[in-house]
Amino acid sequence: MDTVIDARGLTHAYPDGTTAISDVDLTIERGERVAVVGANGSGKSTLQLALGGLVAPTAGEVTYFGETTDAEAVRERLGVLLQDPNDYLFNTTVREDIEYGPAQLGLPRERAERRVASLADELGLTDLLDRPPFRLSGGEKQRAAVASVLAFDPDVLLLDEPFGAVDAHYRARIRDLVRDHDGTVVVFTPSLDAVPEIAERVLVVDRDGSIAADASARAVLTDGDLLADVGLRPPTTVRVFAGLLDDSDVPLTVPEARERLRDAL
Amino acid sequence: MSGVLGRSVETITGALRALFAAEQLATADGFLQRRDPRVSLCAITALALGVVLTRTLGVALCFAALTAGLARLSAVPLRRLLARSAVVPLVSALVVLPQAILLPGDALVRLFGVTVTEAGVAYVLLFTVRVGVGVALLSLLVLTTPFSALVAALRELRVPVPLVWVVAVTYRYLFLFFDELQRLVLARNSRTTGETGLRDGWRDARRIAGTFVLRTLDRGERVGRGMRARGGSRPPSPYGRSRRVGVADYALLALAAVAVVVSGVIRWTP
Ligand SMILES: Nc1ncnc2c1ncn2[C@@H]1O[C@H](COP(=O)(O)OP(=O)(O)OP(=O)(O)O)[C@@H](O)[C@H]1O
Ligand SMILES: [Mg+2]
Repeated sequence: MDTVIDARGLTHAYPDGTTAISDVDLTIERGERVAVVGANGSGKSTLQLALGGLVAPTAGEVTYFGETTDAEAVRERLGVLLQDPNDYLFNTTVREDIEYGPAQLGLPRERAERRVASLADELGLTDLLDRPPFRLSGGEKQRAAVASVLAFDPDVLLLDEPFGAVDAHYRARIRDLVRDHDGTVVVFTPSLDAVPEIAERVLVVDRDGSIAADASARAVLTDGDLLADVGLRPPTTVRVFAGLLDDSDVPLTVPEARERLRDAL
Repeated sequence: MSGVLGRSVETITGALRALFAAEQLATADGFLQRRDPRVSLCAITALALGVVLTRTLGVALCFAALTAGLARLSAVPLRRLLARSAVVPLVSALVVLPQAILLPGDALVRLFGVTVTEAGVAYVLLFTVRVGVGVALLSLLVLTTPFSALVAALRELRVPVPLVWVVAVTYRYLFLFFDELQRLVLARNSRTTGETGLRDGWRDARRIAGTFVLRTLDRGERVGRGMRARGGSRPPSPYGRSRRVGVADYALLALAAVAVVVSGVIRWTP
């Protein structure tokens, strides 16, 4: 398998002395679906920025695609979506924002226009394209930000809370877009309910910014003690069935749970 | 920060933010909207230069009429244009107001022992109209042309990359600056109740100013990351919106050229 991201001893301390991530080693292979989970303030966003080459690590380094440690050299292949859409949308209209990445990263115009149209349609932004982003609602901004990162079709998606403030309908749309992405996906989130639907592998960030676990989604999501230690709770379905079934049998998603209940009733 | 001070800060930030906010008018159908962005950019910049050059109130007023005409043709409501561009000239009028007394000349009125001179009033008036029309012209440009099309036009006109960079980044940061200010004022107003006196207001304002500077710097850093994440460290290269340059485009350029030449001639002929 090809390694897309390889981090060694990655550490970042903010200027005020807060060490947000410490000594992180991790390797992500092409095509993997990974969720990075952790409590608020554990360092997920800092890890995402460091992996995306947007903050300089105070120690350690990241190698991209086995070829370079300079993120700018591979910018068009890295889709880094920041947590706060207010930081991500800075153009004067939504259309300009979605086109910004493709234009800067050299995508041919016709291709970019087709992509903008299809993403706008998918994410319900068609009527908002000529509006200034700051006049959108929270969920609309989030959808516009997701469209902006998908627009230039990067190989690797590093998405920090892509579902923030989005309603159930569009949450499902975003989930499908992420699932259908043919490349590598890493999602950073503090809420575990959506994890089983998008990731096979889960990295757990401890409160001190170190990696507490790196295992399959099932192993992590059913490990109540581990999750409690880092300030998290298993997803709702797991909590409902915990103790009733073996860990290896516990349903992780709602459809799985429904199946289980139908069998039992 | 409630009370008089809070309200005025809110009004000013609202107006300034509106000045930098893109509106849907850019896609409405109208004269300027149908021009090639390079043509609009050159013509309007030339007109703005022309009005700033002049030293004659009459000429400045002619430019004002021209601006109003262009707005009319481009389906930009005059009230909208005025609202967007009124703050800057009003503020600059305040700055040059002392000239009404300081400039020597025939007395116009005497108020509380100070003499307001005719030359002084004329100066303040001319200054305000010039700044006002200049800002109105630039607003008109931004209102009728998407900002990314303007940046693309700058690149196509072979303006040096560093300069385009400065324009693109400054515009976006000014925009964020007022967005941040507006948010801060809103957050404050939602947490203070009742009317506070002017003195409390001032103390509050000083504290807010400190927070504001920190927040703006921080926001600037985070938005900088948002730009870099999408290739912002490469030279600005938005998709162009050039059109076929036709008769109307040449007419606009000619109009601008004539206006600038006339303004220059009137200024420099003794
Ligand atoms: N600009 C900054 N300066 C100083 N400390 C910071 C800064 N940004 C974040 N931190 C601190 O670094 C730590 C990690 O923050 P980070 O944003 O990475 O957490 P997170 O896991 O993404 O949290 P959340 O789930 O709330 O998004 C926190 O203790 C936070 O207070
Ligand atoms: Mg975060």
